Amino acid sequence: MTNSGFFSSSLYKQKHWLWLGVWLIGLACLAGWDALFLNQPAFKLIQTAFANTLVAGVLVVLLSLGMGWIVGVCLHFLESRSRPWYLGVTFILNIIRSIPQIVGILLGYVVLTILIEHEVLRNQFAQLAWMAFTISLFVFLEVVDLVRERITHFSKLDFFQAMLCCGVKEHRIINREILWKNSRAHLLHKMISIFGTAIFLQCTIDFIVSVGLSTDVSLSNFPVTLGSLLSKLDSKQDILSVGRAFFDLTDARALLFEHLQGISITFLIVFTLLSVYKISNGLVRRYNL
Amino acid sequence: MNSLDFDIHIASLERQLVDVKGFALPLGRISVLFGESGIGKTLIARAIYGLLDPEEFSVIINGERYEKYLTKHETVEIRENGFFVFQEPSSHLNPLLPLGVQLREGDLAGGSDDTGLLKELWRSDPTAGKGEDGKKVEDLLAVFPKPYRPSGGEKQRMFLAMALKKIDLMVQSGRLNRQSVFIFDEPTGSLDNYFRDIFLSLLFHRFERHKFTTLLITHDYSMVGEITRRHERLLDHISFKEIRLQNEKLVLKNFQPQVYLGWLQEQKEYPVKEAPPRRNQPLCRVESGAEIFGQQLIISKDRSGTEESPLEIVPGTMTYLKAPSGTGKTTLVKLMMGLLPAEKLRLTLEDVQLTERTRRKYWQNHIWGKKMTMVFQHADEALNPRSTVAETFEGLPSRKRVTPPDIRQILGELFEIEINDDFLRRRVDALSGGQKQRLNLLRGLSLNTDILILDEPLNGLDFESATKVLAMLREQQQGGKAILVISHNEEIFDALVSKGSVYYLHSKM
Repeated sequence: MTNSGFFSSSLYKQKHWLWLGVWLIGLACLAGWDALFLNQPAFKLIQTAFANTLVAGVLVVLLSLGMGWIVGVCLHFLESRSRPWYLGVTFILNIIRSIPQIVGILLGYVVLTILIEHEVLRNQFAQLAWMAFTISLFVFLEVVDLVRERITHFSKLDFFQAMLCCGVKEHRIINREILWKNSRAHLLHKMISIFGTAIFLQCTIDFIVSVGLSTDVSLSNFPVTLGSLLSKLDSKQDILSVGRAFFDLTDARALLFEHLQGISITFLIVFTLLSVYKISNGLVRRYNL
Repeated sequence: MNSLDFDIHIASLERQLVDVKGFALPLGRISVLFGESGIGKTLIARAIYGLLDPEEFSVIINGERYEKYLTKHETVEIRENGFFVFQEPSSHLNPLLPLGVQLREGDLAGGSDDTGLLKELWRSDPTAGKGEDGKKVEDLLAVFPKPYRPSGGEKQRMFLAMALKKIDLMVQSGRLNRQSVFIFDEPTGSLDNYFRDIFLSLLFHRFERHKFTTLLITHDYSMVGEITRRHERLLDHISFKEIRLQNEKLVLKNFQPQVYLGWLQEQKEYPVKEAPPRRNQPLCRVESGAEIFGQQLIISKDRSGTEESPLEIVPGTMTYLKAPSGTGKTTLVKLMMGLLPAEKLRLTLEDVQLTERTRRKYWQNHIWGKKMTMVFQHADEALNPRSTVAETFEGLPSRKRVTPPDIRQILGELFEIEINDDFLRRRVDALSGGQKQRLNLLRGLSLNTDILILDEPLNGLDFESATKVLAMLREQQQGGKAILVISHNEEIFDALVSKGSVYYLHSKM
């Protein structure tokens, strides 16, 4: 097998890398196309929205990982050392779990609105961080469950007991040996799916709140994201033109040149979610998760 | 043609797994292949038998791509006219079919009565306290092989029964000849010596009448003793070979039985001088009768288990705990280490009484890695596969940080290769099984605890490593350490341990 053949065959078997490449190439192609055919203000708006959405997504991922890891490990120790505390924390987590994600995040946005109204959160990054915190509060339980599952699984294996017998501290075995060394792929997979969930939830919520949450604060006060951009009237018209293109092929050409804003945003959301899904699946296959 | 010769190259996506030249299977002979575990014995056997997945591995046999090898007439014949006994019968028995049905499936259909063969393989040991009778064998045929039922030993014997039945059926149909290849991959790994010897007798008895080609893969060197003792007449038809890793390459060598037998004789003639105990009373004492999962563990000094006796682990002494597979030897030592929740436990460690109510924190702060440590039997599972060799020594209770030169010194005791930085950075899952076992042992020994519990310490080691490990244990013993060993290598440990320090374990519901 030639080197290039071996490279393409390994890339094919490691689909997460393949799809990361596809995603980046797709973004580059879209950026090139928009640079040529989309008006500059709209292009800049899409860039900002995409960047904000990504930043919020990454923040959700980091916050969820941090909170999930800490709470998961604490629950493990509380379970064997302090039953009342364990039950108390589990009860609170179950309350959060029982609230539908969309409803919970909407409540978070209400709080965000109040904070903006009272000029507590003026900085755009702080607003994005709050949005991310609100979303992560309702998705981090997935990380807690994963962390608990990994600890439970490895606690039954010989290597956990063998390390205990050698006098290695339990917190070190859990944090370093189980979660860091043996669960990175699982956590990464979870992070990727949380990233996709975060983008999806953010776009959905932004779309829902596009009607405005108060007379003083509306989407226009929030940092621009792909969801909020999609909810603008011109983007909606762009999307509606997709339907028209099915019945009148002459409109199809216009999609690529005249309705670029809405089409680009939709493409970015759908293509990013698809790529994230594929990368995540690739990881599952590669590491037999 | 006197032998089947193979040049075999196997690689995964990440690395080369096996590269061996001139691997010969002499036709009409028994080849006993020794070698430390994880070195590639199983891969070689599976490659020859056509059992590897070309999607998963890149395999080249005698210069040909594996896909072509699989379709060759000779390969198809090997598979049709032979049998492959897998190392892990649990994962190769169909959980949805009763054992009796599996014993009559496909090529195994036919033959009048399977129970005769099974009864031989399940023959009870008259010297032991308990045994399995023929009635139990008939019951077993209706059992679906679930993970915990039947036991690992029973599943293994069932697989051996399938292979022996195939031989019998081929004899009946007149198809058995020198070209028939039967491969037994660690066929006695889950059996104690008693059942191992029965299997060898049944196999050799068949071989004596009809010479077929057999490859017996094992790392149980004490098989040499059994073969030379009871099957001497067949020695001219048996080749002993050892596969070793030398400078990262696999080398196949002849193994002289006399080397093992001579070494064993030395151990018998020069028994270990036990160091004078530091005190009269043992360091650790476990009363017989500990209970777990509704099972009572009875300790005795006699094989039949009529007289119960506490297990005493004395400084400067090697103590040997014996029992058939599945009796609960590992369970007992896990109870002693406070790893399992006993229902009834009476353990005295120095002057401290430990029971099932002793808090886990006490074990953590005072016992684990400080007074007592345990080396688990499966190094594959006892080590973190994603740690590097150097990281395996991190986090141990030591006053000073273990530095790379310290680790090199520790590893130098059992590793003959150059311990460079690359090796220290190598991940555990990239080591061979034997290397893992040596690393596992060295981690335990480096703790320098007063009591050392070793569960199957010779598991997966080649002969040279095993002798080194035993020499180290002797050194530890003479330095005043109390050592408790669990091993199915009875022949070896009977030669090493004085009779007064041998205990037997029995279990009753």
